Amino acid sequence: MRVMPILLSLVLIFTLFGNAHSRNRESANTTVTQRNPDNEAKRVEGEQRFRANCGRCHAAPQKFPPRMMATIVRHMRVRATITDDDMKLILLYMTQ
Amino acid sequence: MAKVCSANVFVRLAWPRQLLLLWIAATFLTAGGLAHSQEVQELSERPVPILTGSAGYFTNVTAGENALAPVVMPVILVPIGERWLVESRGNFSAEFERPKGGGGPYGGQVEKNLDYLQLDFIANPHLTVTAGRFLTPFGIYNERLYPIWIRDLQVTPLIFPIATGSSDGVMLRGGFPVSSSVNLNYATYFSTASTLTAFESDRTVGGRVGFFFLRPRIEIGTSWQKLLQDERTQSEGFHFAWQPSPVPLNLRFEYARGHSGSGYWVEGAYRFSQVQVWNSVMRRTEFVGRMQQFFAGEGDVPTNSDSEYHLPHSNVQQPDFGLNYYIKDGLKASASYGRWLGKRNYNVWSFGIAYRFAVPLGKLESQ
Repeated sequence: MRVMPILLSLVLIFTLFGNAHSRNRESANTTVTQRNPDNEAKRVEGEQRFRANCGRCHAAPQKFPPRMMATIVRHMRVRATITDDDMKLILLYMTQ
Repeated sequence: MAKVCSANVFVRLAWPRQLLLLWIAATFLTAGGLAHSQEVQELSERPVPILTGSAGYFTNVTAGENALAPVVMPVILVPIGERWLVESRGNFSAEFERPKGGGGPYGGQVEKNLDYLQLDFIANPHLTVTAGRFLTPFGIYNERLYPIWIRDLQVTPLIFPIATGSSDGVMLRGGFPVSSSVNLNYATYFSTASTLTAFESDRTVGGRVGFFFLRPRIEIGTSWQKLLQDERTQSEGFHFAWQPSPVPLNLRFEYARGHSGSGYWVEGAYRFSQVQVWNSVMRRTEFVGRMQQFFAGEGDVPTNSDSEYHLPHSNVQQPDFGLNYYIKDGLKASASYGRWLGKRNYNVWSFGIAYRFAVPLGKLESQ
């Protein structure tokens, strides 16, 4: 009974701290990649792959900073057995 | 008698031998895919360790009995280099109830489980080798839909305990396109028996294979598992998922058959995003309906298991309906009603809130 309030408090603290930290960094990082027509086509394809693969289980999450997305996509590649091509396109879409 | 014994010894040795063949195949595949995987490295941002997971608080009312059910499921992801990942999920959950037949304070135990603690090696674009404790790849619910921020109904399906849970051992898995419109995904594993606290598992071998048709967004797959201890029983499963593109609808179906029984669940989740009236509210609202049945088999249902999930002892059917409201990214409120129709009939209510969090455990600047 005593463990749960402590765990929930820790989650809240980490979340508040982490969200603020992520938001500050996100704007700086997401503008790094320059757009070009080829990239734009891949981004559109990436969105389709995202909806097909990730949308099967959950709603679209917010876009995290690129280094976080790289970890999340690696995790999901294993968990959801996403193909290599799909993973690359989804990562491109989620980091632009 | 001696022949029988030697045959048994052979059968017992046969699985490790097959496992060895699996490893040899994996090594060849690893070498073959090395060049391709270097391409991935060039495209990837350098990943950072993350603490993510979900937390939730639910009130469950089952046959008139209230239970307060907080849940915290932290996930730690630690990428190492370009091709390794250490991932782990803990599961802290409780069902605090009042003493039977009267008032008094809510009380109960917090269950602490280690769902997985695994090391993944991305050998090549077609193969990931996993070692450690991992979620048993059987059907789609255990691996993909179990986290509380993902599942559409908080009440788990009746057949969920069949051949799922966690396994300790080695797993080979991956996905690759077999044509321009079809992807294949697979997972195969060997698990050893363990009675260690937090690492409990059975000696099993099994696998899952699925075909995903990109254009119609349909996945069809099958799973199997063989228990290599005690009664040496076998379990089979089949799953189907469809997301028709013109409508925000998610349809899922799963069937499983084991020694203790068989059953299915079929679920549809419709997001009201195309409704123009009160669109700002409706697009965040989702209606879910599920029908499920369980048919008790000849085998006994294990009653001494520490798992919080158990199969029913007799035939049961249960329709469920629910509403989810997505307040913001990763935060949703949910409510559901179900009717358990078995030897006893009763209502199953659930109300609560689920939250997904993700925080970096390192610097976020691009390298």
